[in-house]
Amino acid sequence: MKLHARPLLALAAALALLEGAAPAAAQTMGSTYDDTQLLISQIQTDKRAIVLKSMDLTDTEVPKFTPIYDEYQKERKELYERAADLLNKYASNYDSMTDAAAKSILKDFLKLQEDKLSLTKKYAKRFDTVLPPAKVLRWAQVENKLNALMDFQGARAVPLAH
Amino acid sequence: MRIASIALGLALAVVPVLSQAADDNQPGTQGVLTDQQILVSQVQTDKRSVYTQKLGLTDSESRSFWPIYDEYESKVKKLDDRFLDMLNDYASQYDTLTDDQAAALLKERMSIEKDRMALKQRYTAKVAAVLPPKKALRYAQLETRIEILIRSQVYGLIPLAR
Repeated sequence: MKLHARPLLALAAALALLEGAAPAAAQTMGSTYDDTQLLISQIQTDKRAIVLKSMDLTDTEVPKFTPIYDEYQKERKELYERAADLLNKYASNYDSMTDAAAKSILKDFLKLQEDKLSLTKKYAKRFDTVLPPAKVLRWAQVENKLNALMDFQGARAVPLAH
Repeated sequence: MRIASIALGLALAVVPVLSQAADDNQPGTQGVLTDQQILVSQVQTDKRSVYTQKLGLTDSESRSFWPIYDEYESKVKKLDDRFLDMLNDYASQYDTLTDDQAAALLKERMSIEKDRMALKQRYTAKVAAVLPPKKALRYAQLETRIEILIRSQVYGLIPLAR
């Protein structure tokens, strides 16, 4: 397994899912891990646009929603970076995975999933203070749909441990 | 929104995707699908065959793994039933969703996700205690991959709150 290739592919695959992002993903397929930050930034920019469009917010709701959403995105970015680091660790250990490496990767993997869920829960509570409940529910639904689509593409790019 | 259409759509969406968790094309469910319980059972059967095929367990590993897996699946089924109940509530309330109903649905959704994550963490630890680290990691990857495949299909069927 080529070092750095898989994480970038996973991120690029996720990026390709977002509206209008396919050309950018195609461009990045052959580039290096240094582009990870750029990819994360592109994913988040595209995701923000989709979320704002899907939320169907009123004019008074928009200024309440966006500052909190941007804080959410900032925290989410840290999770994307941890995911990229983890994929990179997996890639570098893939061909000669030791028991210790497998244990460590599994531990980080489970912690990352737990933290993703906690973050969604934390921000659903924050949105609940400024938006009607149906809009908070809608945000959680949109977020879940987008994350499921991105995770789906990302998972396909990562081979199983052997 | 008709309740039956969600349940059937959910089941129809879930069953075929399990074959995607394996790299080859094993046959999925065939024939007309009419009963939700049969479908849930089929999902569990297909999932089991994916693990059989992909984990490559020795006889002694099998003796340790399958009882844990079966216990886990029986608990997952209870969470799936809760999720279906929640979807049915959402379907029946969709056209006239009140703030209280939206808040209750989101709360239940988050509660199910939290319970599912806790269950997954607990049973992955149990699996890791009886399988070599690389196989435990592989198990966690498969479990997550199947979960993502199902989510990516199911979430697409759920209309956004309005």
